[in-house]
Amino acid sequence: MSSKKKIVLAEDNSTLSLLLKFRLEKEGYELFIAEDGKKALELIENEQPELVLTDIMMPYVSGLEVISHVRNKLNMNTPIIVFSAAGQEEMVLKAFNLGASDFMGKPFSPNELVMRVKRMLS
Amino acid sequence: MNDSPNILEYFKLLPILVKVVWVLSMVLFVFILALICYLKILRIRLNKNEIKQKKKQKIDEENLINYLYAGDGVNEISKEQQVFINTMKKEISDSFNRNILISVMSKLVNDISGEMAVAIHTLYFKTGLINYSLEKLKAKKWEVIASGISELTQFEVKQASQEIQKLIKHSNREVRNQAQLYLVNLFQFKGLRFLDNLDYQLSEWNQIQLLEILQKFDNQEITDISPWLKSTNISVVEFALKLAKVYSHFEAKDTLLELLKHPNEEIRVQTIHVLSYFMDSDCKVYLKSNFENSSECEQIAFFNLLEIVADNTDESFVKENISHTNFQVKYSALKILKTINLVNYNDVVFPENDTQGKQIVKFINTI
Repeated sequence: MSSKKKIVLAEDNSTLSLLLKFRLEKEGYELFIAEDGKKALELIENEQPELVLTDIMMPYVSGLEVISHVRNKLNMNTPIIVFSAAGQEEMVLKAFNLGASDFMGKPFSPNELVMRVKRMLS
Repeated sequence: MNDSPNILEYFKLLPILVKVVWVLSMVLFVFILALICYLKILRIRLNKNEIKQKKKQKIDEENLINYLYAGDGVNEISKEQQVFINTMKKEISDSFNRNILISVMSKLVNDISGEMAVAIHTLYFKTGLINYSLEKLKAKKWEVIASGISELTQFEVKQASQEIQKLIKHSNREVRNQAQLYLVNLFQFKGLRFLDNLDYQLSEWNQIQLLEILQKFDNQEITDISPWLKSTNISVVEFALKLAKVYSHFEAKDTLLELLKHPNEEIRVQTIHVLSYFMDSDCKVYLKSNFENSSECEQIAFFNLLEIVADNTDESFVKENISHTNFQVKYSALKILKTINLVNYNDVVFPENDTQGKQIVKFINTI
């Protein structure tokens, strides 16, 4: 069995997902990519990750709904880092109210994300 | 047995009108058949193209990420990166490859910052993609020009500013819009100089987009907006009022007071809103003296302002309006009276038939 820590990344920008997957796998994490919130929920339920990274705006199921589902339906305490674009401050507040652990505003530095992930999983 | 001669003979015997209908039906049938075939082929082609695009996009995404992680941290461009740049230079001479590479780079450059964003910008310049974007500005089709400006905005090509400034008065709205976004994205407040002599109306959506871009930047030098408040273009005045509010531009207060006499009602109302946001009480004298001649919207806006800045000196004016025919003015007047003089507020007596007034008082008492 793999001892790598699992991370589910929910992001509809395929290029960004690939970039972060490449970077985080290099750091020794196992990445599961979801291009929408619906797939993210499936991955979270099946893989039981140690960390969830999610964009707020996604097709089908939004990042806010993902957080709500993880916290209220699955009753999981898995840390969740939210990505938000400029002008989504209210959404970020909602995300924190729903149980998000941290947030990063886009555009963000992948290096900074890796630092936060390491800190959260240490 | 051969039926064809019989059918032909039968056809020849038909009245001319029926013959015409038959011929038309056949022509129409053949036309529809050809159209179905054409649509089928078109669909197959589009599907093939989409699959080809997705494949190429995936390859470009992987290549781009390899390029980004191939930096050696010493030189601006590592050897490995240079090889990728050289390959791309050849590939992008084909418009299909070029469009896909640009779209992949754009998707990423919007979402990341730091060294990697710089590396993407470098790639844009070194591969010569910039030249294709600049070339688009000279195109005849408006959509090509607009996409050229959009690319130059995303990759922050400041050297195109003079060319793009000329497009601010382009006949196509989308080109004009992209040109405005370029100038504000790259030069912030200084980019707004196009407002000085704008001869078309800025839509509400345009204004929101420009404000949103400006708000992305911190510590920017805010220019004097007074000339825009005095503009003859109504939409420029409206936009300047929004700027005054968002950036709390108190320096423009004198110009704002002048705007209370503007011939456009909407401008006057918006000005009162901005002044109430500034908690300005200097405007009270004029607005009170002109109250009877004001429109209902202005009266409501003024009473909203008074809810914030009213004091004892406004009591008589407020009392005069507690029986105003407009519900909102009446409600505000009573609310203000309660705040500035509770005793007099408690003494207010409405005629028997004024149930609305009584209900308002009942409601205010619960607040």
